[in-house]
Amino acid sequence: MPNILVVDDDDIMLKAIKNILNKDGFNVVTASDGKEAFELLEHTVYDIVITDLMLPHANGLEVVGKLRHNDANRNVGIIVVSSVGNEETITEAFRLGADDYLKKPIMAGELLMRIRKLIANKNSKTQFYTKKK
Amino acid sequence: MWNDLANLLFLAYEQFSLLPLFIEIALVLIFVAVMATLIAYGSILFRRYNSSVYQRRLAHLSPIIEDLITEQVLLNENLGKDIPVEEIEFDQHALSNKAFRKPAVRQIIIDTLIRYRKNFRGEVGELLRKLYIDMNLVEDSFSKLRTFKWETKIKALVELTNMDIPISDSMLLPLTNSQNPSLRAASRNAYIQLSKNEPFKFFDIATEPILPWDQMEMFKIITTTKDITIPNFSRWVSYSNNKSIVSFCLRLIAHYDQRTAIPSVIDLLQTKDHQFRAQAINCLGQLSAEIAEEKLVTIYTSQPLNCQIEILKAIGKISSGKHLEFLKNEFLYSSSFDIQMNAARAIIRHNSQQSRYIITDILENTNEENQTIVKHCQNPLIKYQ
Repeated sequence: MPNILVVDDDDIMLKAIKNILNKDGFNVVTASDGKEAFELLEHTVYDIVITDLMLPHANGLEVVGKLRHNDANRNVGIIVVSSVGNEETITEAFRLGADDYLKKPIMAGELLMRIRKLIANKNSKTQFYTKKK
Repeated sequence: MWNDLANLLFLAYEQFSLLPLFIEIALVLIFVAVMATLIAYGSILFRRYNSSVYQRRLAHLSPIIEDLITEQVLLNENLGKDIPVEEIEFDQHALSNKAFRKPAVRQIIIDTLIRYRKNFRGEVGELLRKLYIDMNLVEDSFSKLRTFKWETKIKALVELTNMDIPISDSMLLPLTNSQNPSLRAASRNAYIQLSKNEPFKFFDIATEPILPWDQMEMFKIITTTKDITIPNFSRWVSYSNNKSIVSFCLRLIAHYDQRTAIPSVIDLLQTKDHQFRAQAINCLGQLSAEIAEEKLVTIYTSQPLNCQIEILKAIGKISSGKHLEFLKNEFLYSSSFDIQMNAARAIIRHNSQQSRYIITDILENTNEENQTIVKHCQNPLIKYQ
């Protein structure tokens, strides 16, 4: 069962995404700020991290940057879900290593499709490197 | 007992009237101050008590309401099965919980639904809207819209707008002209978001101004609302008597690049209000209205400084190359630093062979101050406007 970490300071969004993803068979852990997310990421490797950008203590861009600079989490799929819609921030998120960007309000079905696609990509990459070795 | 009290008050009054005037005044002031303090404390305590009751109620009800939304909407089995949202039915037993009949609880449900709607669109968003309608919460919002309190009306407008519930023109249009600025702004924003065919109809009847801050908010709503019908704003530029509407329409004309509005904007150059005229010139510049360039140069000398600066900027944006000599003369012979800066920028903006020749000529043959201005304007890192 794929592990997903959801980081958002809106408790309603956290609960809603957790319920939607649980229903589809994902194992979901939630964090309500950047600091909590960092603590969780130190102990567990997740398949996907879904993060908001505007977060207390450490913002979403910091979460993305830190994930990509950490060897254990380098291959984690990162989806940024935020109401921030300006081009600079979106570009910055992708530059730091985000795999996908969804603007709030989101469509639940679209989020699920993107998660599945990221996991499929990740699996095919892993298979490719295993064969190569 | 009442007689004793009356006697006591009478005696107190007799004693009071025997006191010197300044003591009487001091006593009255002390009495008023003590009473005002007591009222203030009383009102603070009352508000805090109400707030704590609300918080306790919220803590108790939130999980129940969130469970309801989770079960009926987020985990609804019919979602994602190509069944139209209108045909998805909710569990009536869950909706008919007695607790959901109390007005305060219904308000909490509305607030929670709105929070969910801000995070979800698509099928989930539509199903949240359906839940709002099926629980008849829409009627709660409409009853709030019919009250006399403007704050309650604004709350109702926000709820209905967030839930995308149409409001009849007869109810909403009069509010767009309300004397209360907050209500006026909220209803205008609601009108734009809810009226898909004629979102700017209230411009026709608006006699009250659109305040600058409201213009910014409205601009954001217009440019971010999906499927909005954008009319030709020149009709209000030509016929509206409301200056703030004309000014707002000029911004919209420039934003939507409505070049068909250029003749109406040129007509505005006749207006006596120089701020307004400057805005019209700016709009012509943003539209790159070459047709207006000659007229702008003709009226230049009779204009105040702010309009002259806007004309220089406009000629720079139009960049036809017909008035480079005019710009060069303004740069060389004007005594105003602002004019020189804007003339130099306008010349540089042309970016043609002739404009580059003029710039080289200035850099080689004029004084040091002029050269510094040109070099400053040439620096792409300095965004002088």
